Amino acid sequence: MRKLKALFHPIFIFIGVQVAWIVLMAVWINWYLKNSRKFQEFAQKIRPDLFADELNWLILLEGCLLMLIILAGVYIIFVYWNKQARLNRLQSNFVSSVSHELKSPLASIQLYLETMKYQKVSREDAADFVETMLTDTERLSSLINNILASSKYDPKNMRLQFQPVKVGTFLREVVEGLKRQFNERNCKVKLEIPEDFVLSLDRRAMQMVFNNLIGNALRYSPIGAPLTIRLRKKKKFCEIDFIDRGRGLEKKDAKKIFRKFYRVTNQESQNIEGAGLGLFISKEIVRTHKGQVRVFSEGPGKGSVFTVALPLSKDSVNGGRE
Amino acid sequence: MAQAKKILVVEDESHLAKGLKFNLEREGYEVVVAGNGEAALESMSEQTFDLMVLDLMLPKMGGIEVAKKIRETDTRFPILMLSAKSTEEDRATGLEVGADDYLAKPFHLPELLLRVKGILRRWDWYKQPMHGQEIFHFGKMWINFATGKAKGCSGEFLLTAKEALVMKLLISKKGQVVTREDLLETVWGYDRETETRTVDNFIARLRKHFEKKPQKPKFIVTVREKGYQFNPDSYS
Repeated sequence: MRKLKALFHPIFIFIGVQVAWIVLMAVWINWYLKNSRKFQEFAQKIRPDLFADELNWLILLEGCLLMLIILAGVYIIFVYWNKQARLNRLQSNFVSSVSHELKSPLASIQLYLETMKYQKVSREDAADFVETMLTDTERLSSLINNILASSKYDPKNMRLQFQPVKVGTFLREVVEGLKRQFNERNCKVKLEIPEDFVLSLDRRAMQMVFNNLIGNALRYSPIGAPLTIRLRKKKKFCEIDFIDRGRGLEKKDAKKIFRKFYRVTNQESQNIEGAGLGLFISKEIVRTHKGQVRVFSEGPGKGSVFTVALPLSKDSVNGGRE
Repeated sequence: MAQAKKILVVEDESHLAKGLKFNLEREGYEVVVAGNGEAALESMSEQTFDLMVLDLMLPKMGGIEVAKKIRETDTRFPILMLSAKSTEEDRATGLEVGADDYLAKPFHLPELLLRVKGILRRWDWYKQPMHGQEIFHFGKMWINFATGKAKGCSGEFLLTAKEALVMKLLISKKGQVVTREDLLETVWGYDRETETRTVDNFIARLRKHFEKKPQKPKFIVTVREKGYQFNPDSYS
């Protein structure tokens, strides 16, 4: 069965088509040569003008052109086919990692609910369980948001509602909202906001970017590792650095991690939760804000710095108006 | 009361690990949690456990690797696999590397507890000495139930936990017919998804070990419409 499937691999089909093509051509030429005399007589009857010398060139040219068009068609089909095959593969990867991502928090919630149903649970334990379940629901909802965002937001028609937002204050709010996650990973957050800027942002979209970047920093760092978030002005941009002491990454991955569905695959990180969407979405959102996201890491094990650069407008310096 | 059974929970999701520990302790088991494969193997070498609850998606060393490592030295230590992967193939690979049972996440708490109980009960039953002897001889062959070693027609080999259980059940009822359902209930326990065909596959494997002509079995005989029968004296 598997061998049969392998036969349908695009490359084999491509080769097969070529072979069939050549064989067909050979058969046809053979047949033509055998019957050429008849054709000639037939053609002479209908269109004697075809046998003038200069017209032969035209026919040759027409033939070549036709051949080229057919070849180009085959090539285009082949390229698209390959592309489709790659997308299918990516998607099935994505489905399996997403279903794992959804199942883990779900399993946890179910376990605690059933524990409360079937076991006698003290009041403190129950409170603890509820807290745990709430972190799981947060995880579920942020994942679902990411999935929805990645399918809905085509970067070209992302509909964002821009409004003036004080970035520093906004960042504080986001961090406050993630308090539970920080506590759970025993992570100390340091916010460095020397001055505040008013930028034109879509609050919900930008919150997603910050959530994704902070979530990544937490997941890819050992428990207890600190996280620093720094806001600063650099030329015409307001830059927000997320500095973690986590796994870091290799140079070759620095660009790829922003691709859709891309995940760094190695022994260490293979089982870290994630669907390969967060950074892709963040990049797209920041891009529609006319900014950019980039990452810097000295190498594996040395932590990484994710930077969001957002353009400053004229009246956005020094906290704007109160 | 007998000494509490000791369970090693290998799970990297701290939430699940905490919940599992809480529930298993409520059931009266002693629970140790390991957060990754290496830590699990380390605790295995330091202490003795009665059962391992093993998650498959672990950092550093995956659950399948852990099971393989354990099976290298101990073919019968009970392992209950827990995984978010729930396709038939995933189940099959899990059981192939030697899990005693496989539970897909999200799972039901009562089911998990029943399965843990079932595995431990089967393990207890298996450990009871049979007819006062650990080694059972038939023909020129023998099975050592204490070590899992056996001698078949083509030399010595190690029986897997399930193979040993099947043989033990057949031998303990030698001369009588053992139905497929009996085998399923005793060896596979509560696993509803296991089909009677699985039993047939195991019998086929055992025949390859112990029968000179697996197509014409002498020791492990099929009784039509009923099940299997073990005839130790048919050797001539």
